Amino acid sequence: MRVVIAEDLFLLREGLVRLLSAHGFEVVAAVASAPELLRALLDERPDVGIVDVRLPPTHTDDGLRAALQARRQVPGLPVLVLSQYVEQLYARELLADQAGGVGYLLKDRVFNDEAFITAIRNVAAGGTVLDPEVVQKLMVRHSRTEPVTRLTPREHDVLALMAEGRSNAAIAQRLFISEKGVSKHAAGIFAKLDLTLSDDDNRRVLAVLAYLES
Amino acid sequence: MLFAIVLLLTIGFIAFVLVREARGIPRPDGLRGRIRDRGWGLLLLPVAMAAAVMAGGAHGLILAELGLAALTIVFAPKVAARLVPYGVLGLAVFGVHLAKTYRDGNTSGVQYLFVHVVSRGGAELVLAEAGVLFVVGLWLLLRLDSPGAGLVRALAAGWLNGGRRGIAGAQALLLIPVAGLIMQLLGPGNWFGWQAVDGLDAAVMDLTLLAGALVLIFRSRAWAATLAAAGLLVLGAYGWVITVFWPAVPGFGYGFCDLHNSPTPGPFWGVGLEATVLLAAGLWLAPRVTRHHLDGASDPELAARARQLTQRVQTLTKTRHDAVDTAAAELRRIERDLHDGAQARLVAVGMSLQAAQRLFPTSPEAALALVAEAKESSSLALTELRDLVRGIYPPVLADRGLADAIRALALDTPLPVELDLDLPGEVELPVASAVYFSVAEALANVTKHACARAVRIQLSYSSGMLRAQVTDDGSGGADPALGSGLAGVERRLATFDGILAVSSPPGGPTILVIEVPCALSSPKTSSC
Repeated sequence: MRVVIAEDLFLLREGLVRLLSAHGFEVVAAVASAPELLRALLDERPDVGIVDVRLPPTHTDDGLRAALQARRQVPGLPVLVLSQYVEQLYARELLADQAGGVGYLLKDRVFNDEAFITAIRNVAAGGTVLDPEVVQKLMVRHSRTEPVTRLTPREHDVLALMAEGRSNAAIAQRLFISEKGVSKHAAGIFAKLDLTLSDDDNRRVLAVLAYLES
Repeated sequence: MLFAIVLLLTIGFIAFVLVREARGIPRPDGLRGRIRDRGWGLLLLPVAMAAAVMAGGAHGLILAELGLAALTIVFAPKVAARLVPYGVLGLAVFGVHLAKTYRDGNTSGVQYLFVHVVSRGGAELVLAEAGVLFVVGLWLLLRLDSPGAGLVRALAAGWLNGGRRGIAGAQALLLIPVAGLIMQLLGPGNWFGWQAVDGLDAAVMDLTLLAGALVLIFRSRAWAATLAAAGLLVLGAYGWVITVFWPAVPGFGYGFCDLHNSPTPGPFWGVGLEATVLLAAGLWLAPRVTRHHLDGASDPELAARARQLTQRVQTLTKTRHDAVDTAAAELRRIERDLHDGAQARLVAVGMSLQAAQRLFPTSPEAALALVAEAKESSSLALTELRDLVRGIYPPVLADRGLADAIRALALDTPLPVELDLDLPGEVELPVASAVYFSVAEALANVTKHACARAVRIQLSYSSGMLRAQVTDDGSGGADPALGSGLAGVERRLATFDGILAVSSPPGGPTILVIEVPCALSSPKTSSC
């Protein structure tokens, strides 16, 4: 799988290259600034771009803006954005085009390389991956609204994991329940929130996020 | 009574005309237009009416007076307007004198504007009316810029600015005859005229006044001359009032004219002449005194500026002190958070790794557990650092500026937030940060205390002022004096001359307004 990495700090960039190479990814470009990133994404058309939000030249959100611009030119170009902090505002901007193939994670998630590699593969496959912290903020936002308060605690957990972009199998493993149980909870949640249940994982994530962002 | 009503109606009508003119309503044609054209001079009519009625109409002067006033208004409206303040002031001075005569036992009936006096009891009413007239006359003097208005302004400025230095001695000495005339008008007998001072109280009063005048002349020639000029102008104007209706007021003198029991209008010309001389002297002295006050003194505007600057320095000293305190407290908090948080965690990470290294050859499994523990610690350290950074400087504010930072804030609020952000440019970072944290504090309060269902945040900028407003439909009762949160916001804003206003009646709604003067730079371009 071909990967472009954009990270301005040398140690982190080299760490990412080493980690991904060790897991069988082919790092086609490892760049340190937003203009280089944009060029690499458009020229190399990688299977996934791994992008730090804060990059030169202005050291603000250049990485995010470069990623968004690349996706405007190549719709659905898979991009996993990494950051020292997560903001709902940026998550919204990444999800706005509804094209999938988007990830937004805290840099700390790299510590858990197994989960991190799974996330990269999900994004490359057109899925949506959101950091638990973003999802938690989304849930807090709705903690006082009517339909969400009607969910059982277990349904609440399942909803959060669905919003992070996890598959039924991953949710089942995480919550120590059967996949069938997860499907049942999902059906319950969708009924209570008045959403249309879909078998397609990505569409399910988008429906949940669209609801939580409303 | 009938006269009072007529007078009131006349003044009311003129005021109505003038107010409409002041509001810029276009002037109609015909009679109404012509009336409005005459402007302030029209007030000469009620003044003449009042004077004529005070004269009792006994000697047929009413028609002559009204006719004269009307002619002046029609043919010389500007002169009429300039005469009005002196007419009013003259009536005021006469009122004071009238009150005095009633106190001394006068019992003849006089209509003094709205009051009909017949006995001692009416004296207070007359005095009150005279006081009002005096204020109105002064106001008109300034408003219409009549001769002498400059003097009044200079006096006011001089009074505000404190003491003055000298002026020509002869000019200051004029205060003595002026004081004498005033004593004559206030006392029961003449000073220059034919009657001697009678009664101990009158003598004491006269002597006191004279002593005061002398002290003033030696202490401050400028002030003596100033008072002399004012006295000359007022007494001159008063002389003309007497000239017009003297027979109604028996038993007094004006300068060298004894009007007591005069059977014919003989002294008419005498009083007129005296009044003219006094006025002329006053008009000669007034500009000199004015110039002295304006030149000799520091410019009143300069003095006002100095006061403003003093106040500004006081404010700046206080806000700078607050800012330094706040910054020091903030640094202390950051230091403590780092020391107890991230730093301690990193020490733990190092110790775990060290132990793992030691254990690795003998029991690799225990070593792995320690490595996992180290990973966990570093994760926690990162979380704590993230929270700390957010408190110092929110990343979105650094990345995107104030409007987007407030958008992000709204998204993190567990309430429906309506946004109305209209910022044509970018606010410089220190101000943006202060406003951001103020809005954040407001939102935190709403979430914690207000039991609100919805919040509205407005952000706008006009003529150098950044304005943020947070409105909620909660229970109200927020008070900067009670919680330390809003007081902190006030201090934070004060560093930038910003203010916080809170309206929060019990039961809500709460409206919190932040205003900070600042400049905007051009908006950030959003391409890369």
